Amino acid sequence: MIKTLIVDAGKCSGCRACETICSLKHEGVCNPAKGRVHVVKWEQKGTFIPINCMRCESPACEAICPKHATYRNYTTGAMEVDPYLCIGCMSCVFACPFGATFVDPDDGRILKCDLCDGDPTCVKVCPTGALTYEEISKETYLKLIENAGRIPLLVKEAIGGEA
Amino acid sequence: MMNGWIGNILNVDLSEGKITTESTEPYVDDYIGGRGLGLRLIYDHYVPGTDALDPGNPLIFNTGPLTGSAVPGSGRVDVTALSPMSNLRAKSNFGGYWGPELKYAGYDHIVIQGKSEKPCYLWIKDGRVEIRDAEKLWGMDTFETQKAIQNELGDPEIKVVCIGPAGERLVQFACLITETGDAAGRTGMGAVMGSKNLKAVAVRGSGGVNVARPEELLELSVQVNKEIRENPAYLELANWGVSRSIPMMYEHSFFPVGYFEDVCWEDIMENYQGIEFMEKYQLKSLGCFNCPGRCMSFFSHPEIGKGVTSCEPFSGFTGAVWNLDMDVFWEATVLSNRMGLDGTETSACIGLLMELYHDNLITPGDTDDVVMERGSKEAILTTIRKIADRDGYGDLLARGQMAAAEKFGPEAVEKVDQIKGLAPHAYEYRAYKGTGLIAAVGHRGDPLPLRSSLLEFDWNMSAEWFQQVAKEKYGSEEAAIPTSYEGKALPAFISEHMERVADNLGICKWVYTLFVYEDAEMPTRLFNLVTGKDWEINKLLKVSERVRNLERMFDVRQGLRRADDTLPKKFFEQALSKGKFEGEVMDREKFELMKDEYYDLRGWDKMTGIPTREKLEELGLGDVADEVLGV
Repeated sequence: MIKTLIVDAGKCSGCRACETICSLKHEGVCNPAKGRVHVVKWEQKGTFIPINCMRCESPACEAICPKHATYRNYTTGAMEVDPYLCIGCMSCVFACPFGATFVDPDDGRILKCDLCDGDPTCVKVCPTGALTYEEISKETYLKLIENAGRIPLLVKEAIGGEA
Repeated sequence: MMNGWIGNILNVDLSEGKITTESTEPYVDDYIGGRGLGLRLIYDHYVPGTDALDPGNPLIFNTGPLTGSAVPGSGRVDVTALSPMSNLRAKSNFGGYWGPELKYAGYDHIVIQGKSEKPCYLWIKDGRVEIRDAEKLWGMDTFETQKAIQNELGDPEIKVVCIGPAGERLVQFACLITETGDAAGRTGMGAVMGSKNLKAVAVRGSGGVNVARPEELLELSVQVNKEIRENPAYLELANWGVSRSIPMMYEHSFFPVGYFEDVCWEDIMENYQGIEFMEKYQLKSLGCFNCPGRCMSFFSHPEIGKGVTSCEPFSGFTGAVWNLDMDVFWEATVLSNRMGLDGTETSACIGLLMELYHDNLITPGDTDDVVMERGSKEAILTTIRKIADRDGYGDLLARGQMAAAEKFGPEAVEKVDQIKGLAPHAYEYRAYKGTGLIAAVGHRGDPLPLRSSLLEFDWNMSAEWFQQVAKEKYGSEEAAIPTSYEGKALPAFISEHMERVADNLGICKWVYTLFVYEDAEMPTRLFNLVTGKDWEINKLLKVSERVRNLERMFDVRQGLRRADDTLPKKFFEQALSKGKFEGEVMDREKFELMKDEYYDLRGWDKMTGIPTREKLEELGLGDVADEVLGV
């Protein structure tokens, strides 16, 4: 069963361990600006939102790429960029509806989460469980359980009973 | 290109508007970085005789080679200058996210000298440095200032360290604040910054910290992250902050009550509301940059506001001012942080007035009709506001506890409890002798906590176990026994060196010397992987010893001598009235013998407390010996 990276922003403490470890893993340097995940922070409100590739069903980054450099890795589900095909036009960066396609501030390379080939490093250092790597079926199952309680009410409503 | 260090020290002269850089590299073998390197910078830049609030007093920010790296807990910055409180070397350390960002922007250290004609702030972005107008920011509190700068420069990810109104008004114990409560709290750095007309230092960078051995560092960082998270102390902190451990501190007479007036306060043990407060208002627990530890509680209180707190205001605005109302605790904490006041000294100021009132040495007439009743909400909150505003009696306190007491008369002066011009760390020294030794000989009035002081507290939990630990780590079982005067010098010596390893590297001393790792082994491994050096532990510890001795020599140059290494006389004269250590008092003679033992270990002259030439030369500080001791 395919796994994916799940973000639960409510749990994030904004520590940026994910950004830093990501840059070390992929670039061999400690530089959050080169991470494939980024935490947007409202520190005075205590709100922190990790932004990472959502691996869309119909990815805008893939559709817009003029050189077909962006492709899905069907082993992991990650959207990856072939550096040999990429011409650096950054169309994918601007097309991404989540701002989750990043650019190397030094050389303009596209930085896209590749899920560390199915073993994401950021998940290993996330102290709060804001980032987890789980089977997709498990997530949908949890959603189902969460919603199950509401179903009888909806059914009652549909047949005109008291909700 | 250096690994770990960025390689640049930024020099800013606010009088001339001059900006220059120099290389970090020549200093690193002797001082590493962070606290140690900053110490050498202040020793070299400070001209003896310069007043703390004079433009010539250098204000220095120091990150270490590990700051901003993938090493967990690497968000620390050390700040130094001459302290307006003690006229000795100031030292305060803060976390949050500013330090890493400074390195990403291109600098390891900033040395700020001179005084701007008009209010200004420093803006550092990717190697570009600008002194900008801060006329509009003047008067804003620390939260507003950070937001206003982010808005003005159009980037919410800019990191700002700033002063509040208290620093602008040169309150002697004003502090620096970043985020919602990470503070360079002690020794009055806010007053020094305010005296330069400098409101804030804003940083933003897209650079990084280069690493010599990235693959190995990745592996070890993931392991350390896991070890921190699984550590019982951090499980407690991450879930409960310090809230659950507070009553225990009072139970074992470790936290003093009031102005070191009482111990083992039944009221707080029976009616403590901290846990309920936490359950109600803690939004989440937070940590500094890249730290899984999360030792701070982020509270969100609908009427009072949001922000973080950790250990110190927790006791400062509860037991130290006889307060059990957690709303008052939180309002006092948020107010101090917004105004930019050191919570420890502020709560001690309030505690002092409460004692003076209690002993009929002052009347409400002395305090603008505010009745300084122990635990009074009005007394606590009004005093904080008045200090920040320098209004009425607040103006007196803003000049320091001693200056205020002098105004109230000689009996009031006798009441003041300070060590080297600072409110002592809020531990009870009468029962905990080794902790008392550390406080007395320390580099500043409040050098705590250190590992061996916590060992004395741990002893309460399991005496036999911790006596064994003490024997293995510090040479004798006695080291762990709070009331014993035996074997206390060596643990103080070792703990001081360990702390400096963490501070020199720019990592958290809580993680690396107090709770998770308790020796220099892990920091040394991480240091070598980041920097590519191949140092033995002893080489890092030798730097710590050099740093300790140079700190001492800075203060000796300022006139510090053995007699200054002491505790307020209360600790020698008034025995504890109750609790498990009832009757304990610090015996002056035995206290002096502990000091002798400490100076011997340090290679310092026992008569004067001054490091010997022999010791200084052994540490490569011959130049310092020549200058201070004479050729």
